[in-house]
Amino acid sequence: MIEVTNLRKSFGGAKKGLFGKKDKPVIALDGLSFTANDGEITGILGPNGAGKTTCLRTLYGLLKADEGSATIDGINVVDNPLAARARLGIFPDKFGLYERLTAYEQIDYFASIHGLQGQAKHQAIEAVINDLEMAELAHRKTLGFSQGQRMKVTLAQALVHQPKNFVLDEPTRGLDVMSTRILRRYLARFKEKGHCILFSSHVMQEVAALCDRVIIVADGKLAAQGTPQELCELAGETQLEEAFVKIIGSDEGVAA
Amino acid sequence: MISASLNQFKALLGKELKEAFRDKRAMMLAMTMAVMAPVMIFAMSKVMIKEAVETPAIYLKISGAEYAPKLIKALNKENILLFRDVPVAKRSVWDERELTLTIPETFNQDMLDGKTIDIYLSADYSEKANLSPIRRIKTTINHYARGIGYKRLLVRGIDVKLLQAINVIEQDRSLPNSNAMIISMMLGLYLLMAAFMSGLPVAIDSSAGERERNVLEMLLCQPVSTVKIVFAKLCCASIIACTGVILTLSLTSFSVSFIDLTKIGASFSLDAFTVAALLLLLFPICFFASALQLFVAFQSKNFKEAQSMVSMIIMLPAMIPVIMMFVDDKPNWLKWLPISGQSLIMEDLFKGLPVSWSLLGFTGFVTIAITALLVLLMAKKLRSETVVLALS
Repeated sequence: MIEVTNLRKSFGGAKKGLFGKKDKPVIALDGLSFTANDGEITGILGPNGAGKTTCLRTLYGLLKADEGSATIDGINVVDNPLAARARLGIFPDKFGLYERLTAYEQIDYFASIHGLQGQAKHQAIEAVINDLEMAELAHRKTLGFSQGQRMKVTLAQALVHQPKNFVLDEPTRGLDVMSTRILRRYLARFKEKGHCILFSSHVMQEVAALCDRVIIVADGKLAAQGTPQELCELAGETQLEEAFVKIIGSDEGVAA
Repeated sequence: MISASLNQFKALLGKELKEAFRDKRAMMLAMTMAVMAPVMIFAMSKVMIKEAVETPAIYLKISGAEYAPKLIKALNKENILLFRDVPVAKRSVWDERELTLTIPETFNQDMLDGKTIDIYLSADYSEKANLSPIRRIKTTINHYARGIGYKRLLVRGIDVKLLQAINVIEQDRSLPNSNAMIISMMLGLYLLMAAFMSGLPVAIDSSAGERERNVLEMLLCQPVSTVKIVFAKLCCASIIACTGVILTLSLTSFSVSFIDLTKIGASFSLDAFTVAALLLLLFPICFFASALQLFVAFQSKNFKEAQSMVSMIIMLPAMIPVIMMFVDDKPNWLKWLPISGQSLIMEDLFKGLPVSWSLLGFTGFVTIAITALLVLLMAKKLRSETVVLALS
């Protein structure tokens, strides 16, 4: 379970140079609160710059919130970052690969960091490679992989240790239809097993099809939340996309 | 718990090493130093020996040679010849050097009268190429003059020994090794350079390079302490630096064995003891150098900046020993600091003086302590937001 309570974060505001004026700080998160439950897929929607990535980065412990807290399975990410991260599988917004390693070695690397070893590790790696249907990529060096192939490797290394909580920042960008379907099936399976999955996306059909609950973030605040159906009803629209535009476009009448 | 932590570190280090050894360009760069040093030392020693042992022909422009035929003959005996005999190929060289000797018209008469004769040797004394010829010309003329002086005294029935009221008997206590000082000094410098240069490409690549390739962020999100991450990177770069040092050392002793140093009365050998002491001395430096490089590379905004900043660090091992040569009374703290301490101990080691193990240990300890401090600082930096923000 991932719980975010009243998260506030602003950037800048530091003096530039010796005599420079203070920059006006950019408020990225302005009291954001939400909960992503176990056994559910929770989608985060929001326009660019709404604070989605900042929020997720706070969850990983890369950024420290000015106010508020974030907990993963009840573990505060600031007080005990390593324990919190151990319960997370992360697919970040920016990712790269170790281009001199093969896909298998990369997944192995992350599996070892998460404490897997020996036969268990080997099995876990084989399992994730089969699940994501990337067996023929596994023993090639990742230099020259296509965007989709790179995404798959990154997904595999995020999921190899079968974390209780998945945090995926736009995991389907650049994936072809086949791979997207594989990923969806994969996530759905983990949902059944009771994992908590939090993912951000810009593809409305995907969110509508996959998510049990949707959180809409705008200007660093929670704009609305509920099932896709509820959100449509709230905005009085039939399509999630129309509802989304309406919700982030107007602040009155749709307070969460 | 401890074994899990160890396994994690093993994975981190294994990955760093795998990446480093697969980076062919970095490895080649790392090992150039190891190959370059023996070649340079070999070439330099060859030149030195040639200069010291051989007496190549000197072509001297002498005006008034006809007034002192016997002096000219004495000079010829030492392979100091007249300019008019210079072979065509070397003519322009010796013409440019312009070594001239002026013998006065009155040479013969003054000699008969027993007067002191002034002859003029004119040359550019600051020109390095002239030093050896000038020395030889002066020695030859002095010898010749002294010979005449002695004969004059003998003819008058005076013991020549009267001229020598005091005789200084020189006892050179420097060990035979000291004569190979230049080689040793160069080797010391090269070893320090190797410690700094071999790990460099790997250090930059695993810090600034990884940041630029967006893989560092991914790693920082994992349940692993930044101290471990930094220490793994440090170990990887240091292991390669140590390999570079070992290679330099072994290749050098191999190449020096081809040079006949006995010609200049010198000997140079790296026995097991010296090698052990050198390695003990240099391994901490390898770690220190890599830590310094990682520290600077992590601070820089991108790969390029890291490269130019880190190349400044290479100046340290080149500059510090040279600066120390000019400090006559070295303060004690120089012996304790990294680089300066090691280079002082190395100097003693090469001179064949007994090594103070406690000093060696203490310098090593200070070096390691500074390294540890750098690691902790880096680990702290990697936890801070500014580094993460610089990622995006």
